[in-house]
Amino acid sequence: MNSESTPTPLSTLSPTSSDAASPNLQVRFKSENGRLLLLLPPEGEQNSLSLTWTDVWQQLKQRLNAGDRFWQPNTSVHLIGRDRLLDARQLQAVVDLLAESQLYLKRVYTSRRQTAVAAATTGISVEQQPSVSPLTPPAESQSPLADPLYLQTTVRSGMEVRHTGTLVILGDVNPGGSVIADGDILVWGSLRGVAHAGASGNGRCMIMALRLEPTQLRIGGQVARAPETPPAQYQPEVAYISESGIRITKSTDISRLRSYLSDL
Amino acid sequence: MSRVIVVTSGKGGVGKTTTTANLGMALAQRGRKVAVIDADFGLRNLDLLLGLENRIVYTAVEVLAGECRLEQALVKDKRHPNLVLLPAAQNRTKDAVTPDQMKQLVQELSNNRDYVLVDCPAGIEMGFQNATVAATEALIVTTPEIAAVRDADRVVGLLEASDIRKQHLIVNRLRPAMVQEDLMMSVKDVQEILAIPLIGVVPDDERVIISTNKGEPIVLAQKLTLAGLALDNIARRLDGEDIPFLDLTATHDDLFSRLRRMFRGTS
Repeated sequence: MNSESTPTPLSTLSPTSSDAASPNLQVRFKSENGRLLLLLPPEGEQNSLSLTWTDVWQQLKQRLNAGDRFWQPNTSVHLIGRDRLLDARQLQAVVDLLAESQLYLKRVYTSRRQTAVAAATTGISVEQQPSVSPLTPPAESQSPLADPLYLQTTVRSGMEVRHTGTLVILGDVNPGGSVIADGDILVWGSLRGVAHAGASGNGRCMIMALRLEPTQLRIGGQVARAPETPPAQYQPEVAYISESGIRITKSTDISRLRSYLSDL
Repeated sequence: MSRVIVVTSGKGGVGKTTTTANLGMALAQRGRKVAVIDADFGLRNLDLLLGLENRIVYTAVEVLAGECRLEQALVKDKRHPNLVLLPAAQNRTKDAVTPDQMKQLVQELSNNRDYVLVDCPAGIEMGFQNATVAATEALIVTTPEIAAVRDADRVVGLLEASDIRKQHLIVNRLRPAMVQEDLMMSVKDVQEILAIPLIGVVPDDERVIISTNKGEPIVLAQKLTLAGLALDNIARRLDGEDIPFLDLTATHDDLFSRLRRMFRGTS
């Protein structure tokens, strides 16, 4: 195998495609001013895209399973519920689930009166915020890249991990699974699913994996399939955008690549 | 403490029900008290495979509706009284039962039994949730095909998310000759993706079809076939015995195929 291989380019994505690592489609943990925030995706008007409680619950469990080494015991969590309706039983379930990871729910922020009442009856301190006017998007969407997200998990078929910064997966990404990040994507394992780096349009992002045999690679607005003929031997590789589209190179050549990219 | 094990796969037609029937029978043969539950409401098959279809009077739905007691609905196997079947209703759909009701049924059933095997329907909707809600362990059945493995992978992820971490893999309907010719995924290929411990490999065998048509699980045969032996071994491993895996390649490993592989340069 020569040191560089060209995956088959497909079409060009429009950078505004719904595929951007929209934070609104994923349960997220975020630390801000020393507080750990748990952000739930908003319920929204567009029913087709919004997540049901079962989806939210599954995401939360997968998220907690993947990152429990990274929280100090007894960290308090602030739940940002936005406009999501939560009943007392769901809130209690969240409290119990967090407790299993030695996290405790300190406060609930919501814009829904019913949720606020439910939280109060469950005995959680609550703060009801006026719902944000749809004309002013939440401030977080304008922020630069978020802190890198480090997950120790296997991303299995049907699972999707989105992050607004760089994403590090310690494990495999299986066929049918996808990882989408606004920054770089590093997979310390086999990447067999779909990866989209620079999902908000940054074409200088890279995708690297110990074993790169993806279903599809996307960087910024470009899409490519893996080469038709798989290499005889796998080695750690990096995918990046060159003038001729997405290219793959040995990871040991990354330093050369860096200088090439900075020349760009 | 009884073990509640769900047999599931995601994809249909890979052999969940056949596996459930045979493992239930094999465990009962070993003197364990076993209950098998058909969780496939509306499309029940487990009774057919066990040859118990004509003995069903009540089903799980009638138990939940309070129209009969649980014991009345249980169908005792004619060959091994240690084995009972709780049949599903045929005239209802999967939404007729809630996860809470299912949990209650399984808990009642697991009193004074060693094993409760739940035969899960295909798919990941309501029926899947009903079947998995009370389980503490899972057997993932898959065939060596990408579609089946893909669906099994999804199911493994869903089970992990619902805290069922004790999962074992059964690779069903393997054709060793095809694997050696590189025409079929090997067990190793499947394991590489699913990354859960293997408990058994069952070779493809047309006598399984005959046995299901007759309603006699293949583990009941006087002289076990390779598939029957593989299923019996899985039951033994489940029961805690340390049984070495069968060498399924042996019969196909003649001089020709050895030479062919030598020339192809693979192991």
